[in-house]
Amino acid sequence: MPLFDYSLLLTGKYHDMLVAGLLLSLQLLAASLVLALPIAMVVALLRLSPLAPLRWLGFAYVETIRNIPLLAHMLFWYFGAPELLPEGIKQWLYAGHIEAYSAIIALSLYTAAFMAEDIRSGIRAIPTVQFEAGRALGFGFLGTMRRVVLPQALRVTVPPLISQTLSLWKNTSIATVIGVAELMYQAGQVESATFRSFESFAFASAAYLTVSLAITGLATWYHHRFPVRTI
Amino acid sequence: MRLNLIAAALAASALLTGIAAHADQLADIKKKGELVVGVLGTDEPATFIDPKTRQIVGYEVDLVNAIAKKIGVKPVLKQIAVAARIPELQQGHVDLVAAGLTHNKEREAQIDFSLTTFVTGQKAIVKKDSGITDVPQLAGKKVLTIRGGTQEPNIRKAVPTAEVVTFDTSQQAFQALQQGKGVGYVDDEAALLRSYAKLGPQKAQYVVLKQNLSTEALAIGIKKGESGLKGVVDDTLRELEKSGEAQKIFVKWYGPATASGFQTRDFKLESDKID
Repeated sequence: MPLFDYSLLLTGKYHDMLVAGLLLSLQLLAASLVLALPIAMVVALLRLSPLAPLRWLGFAYVETIRNIPLLAHMLFWYFGAPELLPEGIKQWLYAGHIEAYSAIIALSLYTAAFMAEDIRSGIRAIPTVQFEAGRALGFGFLGTMRRVVLPQALRVTVPPLISQTLSLWKNTSIATVIGVAELMYQAGQVESATFRSFESFAFASAAYLTVSLAITGLATWYHHRFPVRTI
Repeated sequence: MRLNLIAAALAASALLTGIAAHADQLADIKKKGELVVGVLGTDEPATFIDPKTRQIVGYEVDLVNAIAKKIGVKPVLKQIAVAARIPELQQGHVDLVAAGLTHNKEREAQIDFSLTTFVTGQKAIVKKDSGITDVPQLAGKKVLTIRGGTQEPNIRKAVPTAEVVTFDTSQQAFQALQQGKGVGYVDDEAALLRSYAKLGPQKAQYVVLKQNLSTEALAIGIKKGESGLKGVVDDTLRELEKSGEAQKIFVKWYGPATASGFQTRDFKLESDKID
């Protein structure tokens, strides 16, 4: 095997390509996370709703999304869904960054299904008497959730949510299949141009590992700073 | 201490590969009686599986068979993925790679190349209603192609401002063109004409731009430093050219009667230099 060539990673156009990929991956992570969290919250509340049709809606969302591979979601949101739009919107969308938009939609909806389950578990970890107490004080369902249950539940939920963020970060690599020029994509491009597979994927692996460790570190810090309050 | 052990292991493995490189691969091939060649097997008409016989056949297979015959051994074809071509060769799992391999300067640092076995132009196809008639008009537009090959770097070279989007397979990239997710689709001429032919009556809506984006020299890949093996490969190719056999093989797979429909052969098996 030829020796490891650091120069490829540290300077030049291949370095620029890899760094551009890393930045785009981070952007995908940020955009998807910002969208996934509110969706997850709504879905979790749907699943706990006192109204049966809303509960079914939440259930249907979680089970359909969670049981289909992310790869299929990506391909659907890129090749399938946009085709159903009216011609005018479609053309406008296709002229822009449709690849990245499709990836963000697929990643957010997918991650939201898992996060919703974590949030629901967190809410269920809060003793029901707390909820009943809220209702007894005259708050409605949403009021009780917002003022009494969620503030306690979210503290329990943050560690598993950070773990989902970790999955989300690694899942951004799947956007490669629909032509999003993220980190894995760029590593593949550098490889095919130079055949320096080892170096380009070493860069990608190191970048994934570094960001993942940073996220894990955040989880540990949070756990120490805001421990779950024993009830 | 741990670090020292790792360093020692690394040094030992470097030494071992060093020794392996000194052994003559041609002698090994003769000894084992077979020439193992990595092929794609999915790249009609270069290497593909004949639906009737289930055998891998094609332009590159005919060349490889001639090389094996010259050495006096049995050819053994092994299907490999695009990305695995060079690692398989470097690790010695295959003796040669005949897999639509583009010969370029960057790759010369990694492996050796035989004489150029095929020269292909890369071309673009666009929708007629885009109004594009010339390659430079792709500037600033979205162009689609397959990933892992030389198509993308070549588009960037020809039209630096084009926004290139690549896909795992040429089918996906072509579908994106049909859906209007880009104005142009770029591929090797032979492959492009095949996709174009598949459009059927819809062909009228598309135009293949005449100008080449680049010229690609394809060659057989040989492990670096195996001069004996490279010698016999190149000699075989030169003899095929001299005897007129090379011309016959080209016409058989790419000629006017085939789906590729090339009218002329614009290259000869004579040089292993590229621009």
